[in-house]
Amino acid sequence: QTHLICCFSPNNRQGKLRLQKWFTPLPERERKKIVRDMTTLVLARKPRTCNFLHWKDLKIVYKRYASLYFCCALEEQENELLALEILHRYVELLDKYFGNVCELDIIFNFEKAYFILDEFLMGGEVQETSKQSIANSIEASDMLQETMEEYMSKPAF
Amino acid sequence: MSPSVRLQELIRVIRSARTQCEERGVIQRECAAIREQFRQNDNGGRSHNLAKLLYVHMLGYPAHFGQMECVRLIASPRYSEKRIGYLGAMMLLDEKQDASLLITNSIKNDLSHSSQYVQSLALCTLACMGSAEMCRDLAPEIERLLKASNSYIKKKATLCAVHIIRKVPELGEMFTPSAHSLLSEKNHGVLHGAVVLITELCERNTQTLDNFRKVAVPELVQIMKGLVMSGYSPEHNVAGISDPFLQVRILRLLRILGRNNDRASDAMNDLLAQVATNTDSTKTAGSAVLYETVLTVMDIRSESGLRVSHPPNGEALNVPYISMTSLLKIVQTDHNAVQRHRGTIVDCLKDQDASVQRRALELSLALVSSVNIRSLMKELLLFLSTCPPELRAHAASGIFIAAEKYAPSQRWHIDTILHVLTTAGSDVRDETVPNLIQLITSASELHCYTVHKLYRALVTDISQQPLVQVACWCIGEYGDLLLKGDCEETEPVQVTEDDVLDALETVLQSHMSSPATRAFALTATMKLSTRITENVDRIRSIVSIYGSCIDVELQQRAVEYNALFRKYDHMRAAVLERMPVIDKGQTNGEIQAPPNLLDLLGGVCPAPGDVTVSLLASNSTDSDITSFSLQAAVPKVGSTSYPTTTKPCSTTNESPHQGSFCQDTAQIDSFPTTAWS
Repeated sequence: QTHLICCFSPNNRQGKLRLQKWFTPLPERERKKIVRDMTTLVLARKPRTCNFLHWKDLKIVYKRYASLYFCCALEEQENELLALEILHRYVELLDKYFGNVCELDIIFNFEKAYFILDEFLMGGEVQETSKQSIANSIEASDMLQETMEEYMSKPAF
Repeated sequence: MSPSVRLQELIRVIRSARTQCEERGVIQRECAAIREQFRQNDNGGRSHNLAKLLYVHMLGYPAHFGQMECVRLIASPRYSEKRIGYLGAMMLLDEKQDASLLITNSIKNDLSHSSQYVQSLALCTLACMGSAEMCRDLAPEIERLLKASNSYIKKKATLCAVHIIRKVPELGEMFTPSAHSLLSEKNHGVLHGAVVLITELCERNTQTLDNFRKVAVPELVQIMKGLVMSGYSPEHNVAGISDPFLQVRILRLLRILGRNNDRASDAMNDLLAQVATNTDSTKTAGSAVLYETVLTVMDIRSESGLRVSHPPNGEALNVPYISMTSLLKIVQTDHNAVQRHRGTIVDCLKDQDASVQRRALELSLALVSSVNIRSLMKELLLFLSTCPPELRAHAASGIFIAAEKYAPSQRWHIDTILHVLTTAGSDVRDETVPNLIQLITSASELHCYTVHKLYRALVTDISQQPLVQVACWCIGEYGDLLLKGDCEETEPVQVTEDDVLDALETVLQSHMSSPATRAFALTATMKLSTRITENVDRIRSIVSIYGSCIDVELQQRAVEYNALFRKYDHMRAAVLERMPVIDKGQTNGEIQAPPNLLDLLGGVCPAPGDVTVSLLASNSTDSDITSFSLQAAVPKVGSTSYPTTTKPCSTTNESPHQGSFCQDTAQIDSFPTTAWS
C-alpha cells in the first residue's frame, strides 16, 4: 500500500507541488511537513544515483521525467521496483491522455490528472492494470461531463 | 478581475505574479470572491469555483471554507459537479473532519446510481477517505456491489472492501465468502483486487488464512502459470512481462499462504522455479517480479535447490541497490551464500549513493562473524569516518553490537570502541559510556594500557563528550598507573602530576564540556587525591572553587568532596579506593519486587486492585545518591501507544552514602481495565 503519491517540479531546494494524493489520514500540517521534507531530500540527491531512498521508516521511490519528479512513499516491506513501475504507468497514462504530456498540461488541467490517477489507484493499491481500459473509462467520463454542460475547453496557454 | 474568471485564467494570473506577495494578494482577492459566490444560490459556476479553490489549496493556501461546498456539489444531480465535488472531498476532507460524515448519505445514494461512473466516484471517495463509521454504514452496499455483474464496478468495490477491512477489521467476515469466488474472474483488474483483498483478509485472521491456504493455492498457481507462460498479451504487457502488477501481488499472497506450511510450499515450488527462470530481469518490470520471487522463496520452506542464482537486475543505476536489498533478504536464511559476495558489499560501502551505502552497511553488519571480524571491522571503521551523517548513529551502534559479540580479544574490543568514540562520538547512544566503563574495569590487565590510550586521546581533543567522560573516569581511577611511567602494551607517557591535573582542569573549564562531563572531571580530580603524592593541595583548591559553582550538580559534589577533605579525611582513602569489577546488568543497585509482579502481562495475574511494590536498593557507586524516586509504569495492553499510565509515588530525599541502603514503597491502585481483559 502506498501512503502518498506526488509530483513536483524543482524550485530552488524545495519542490513546487503539482499533484499530491494521500492514502493515509494525517493532519494537514503534518502532510505539508512530510511533503516538504520529501521533496527536499529527493532534490538533494546526487546525479547518477538510484531511484530509492530511505526516510524515517518509509521508502521513497522517485523518478524524474523532464522537468517533473514523480515520487511515492511506501512502507518498508513493499516492493520498490514495482512502485517504480507504478509511477511509470501513471506517466504513460497522462501521456496517452494529453498527447505528449508536459508540465503545463498537469498545471492547467490538474483535476484531469487527478481523475486519471483515481482510475489507476484506489486506497493506495493498483486498481486496473490495462492502460486501454483506463483510457476508455476516462473518455467515457469526460463525455458524460461534456454532454451535461460545456465547461472544460481544451487547454489554451 | 471579474468574479467568474475561469479556472485556467486564474492559474495564468497566479503564475504571472512576480513575487510571493503579489501571488498572495491575487489569491486572497480571488478566495474572497469565491467565498461570496459559495453563499449565493446555484449560478452555474459552482464547479468552476471549487476547482479554483482546489488549485489554490494545492499551492498551500487555506481552503477549509470549501468543505461545505464539496458536500453540496456531491449531492448535485449534475455529473460535472459531482465529479469536482468528490475530488474536493478527497482533497479537503479527511476522516477527522466533521463535514465528512455529511457526505455518507450522498455516497450511499450514488452507490446505487444508474451510471457506473457516478458509482465509481462514490466508491473511490469512500476508499480514499472513508472513516470507520462510514465504512460500517456502507459495508453492506459494498458487499452487494462485489457481486455485481459489471467488472468495472466489481474491481472498485473490491478495493473499497480492502479499505473497509483496514479501517474496521471485524468486517472481514462479511467479505470472505465473495473474495474466493472473485479469483475465477478473467478481468485482470478484478483479479488484482481480489488478490489484494484475500491478502488483507489472510493477514488479519489466521482462520481465514488456513481456509484460503487449503482452497486458493492451486488456483493462484494456475493463474500465475498462465501469466508467465502465455505469449505476448498487448493489453497487459510491460517490457515483455505479462501484467507484472498482478504477478507481484500473487507472489506476495503465495508467500503468506506458504509460510510455515510444507504442503502449501511444495505446491508452489515448481511455479517459483518457472518464474525465476523465465522472467527477463533486464528491465524494471521483470526485476520487480524476480525480486518478489526471491522474497517468496526465502520466506517459505523452499527446497534447498531452489535458490535464485542471480539477483534481479533492472536499470543500471538501480542494480547495486537492488542487489544489496535482495542479498539482505537472503542473508537471514542462507548466510554462507551471501558471504561469497562480501567483496562487492564492501565496495558498495564506498559507493557515492547514500541509499546503496545504507544497504551495504546493513548487509555488512549482518555478515559479521567470528571468522571475518577483524577484516570486516577495519572496513566498517573506515566507513564510519567517511559515511553520510544520517548513517553514523546506525553504523556506530552496529559496530558496538558486532564488537561485543565477536571481539577476538579485550584489547581489540577496547580499541574498537575508542576508535568509534573518536570518530563519531556525538552519534553514539548514552549507554555507551557506562558500558565501556564496565568493559574497562573487567579487563584488569589492560588498565595501564587503557589509561595511557585515553590520556593521549584526551590531550588531543576534548570535544567528543562520551570519549572525554570515559577518559576522565579512567584517569581518576587509574591515574597512579599513568604516573608510574611504564607500560607493557604501549609506549608509556612521561607525565607529571601537574600535567594530569592540567588535563582534567581543561575539561572542567572548557565551554565544550557538557555538565555531565564536568561532573566526571571533578570526581576524577577528587579521586586522584588518593593516588598522587605531591599535589593534593592543588586538588583541594580546585574542589573548593567549585563549591560555589553555578551548576547545582557540580556545586553539590564539590561541597561534599570538601567535607570529605575536612571532616572525613580519615575515610577519604577508603571512599575513593579502586572500584571493584562492575557486574554487567547491575548498575545502580538491586531491585526486588514481589514475585507475581514479574509476570504481569502473562500467566498468573493478581486480581485488579492495589498492588504494593517495594524497592530496596543499595548504593554501590562511589558517589552519593542525592535522590531517588519510585515510579510505576503500566503499559496498556493491546494498544499501539507506549506505556502511558504512570503512578509517581513517594520520593525520598535522603542522601545515602556509598554502601548504604535505601528503601521506598509505592502503591499502584489504578490499572487500566484493558490490562486485565
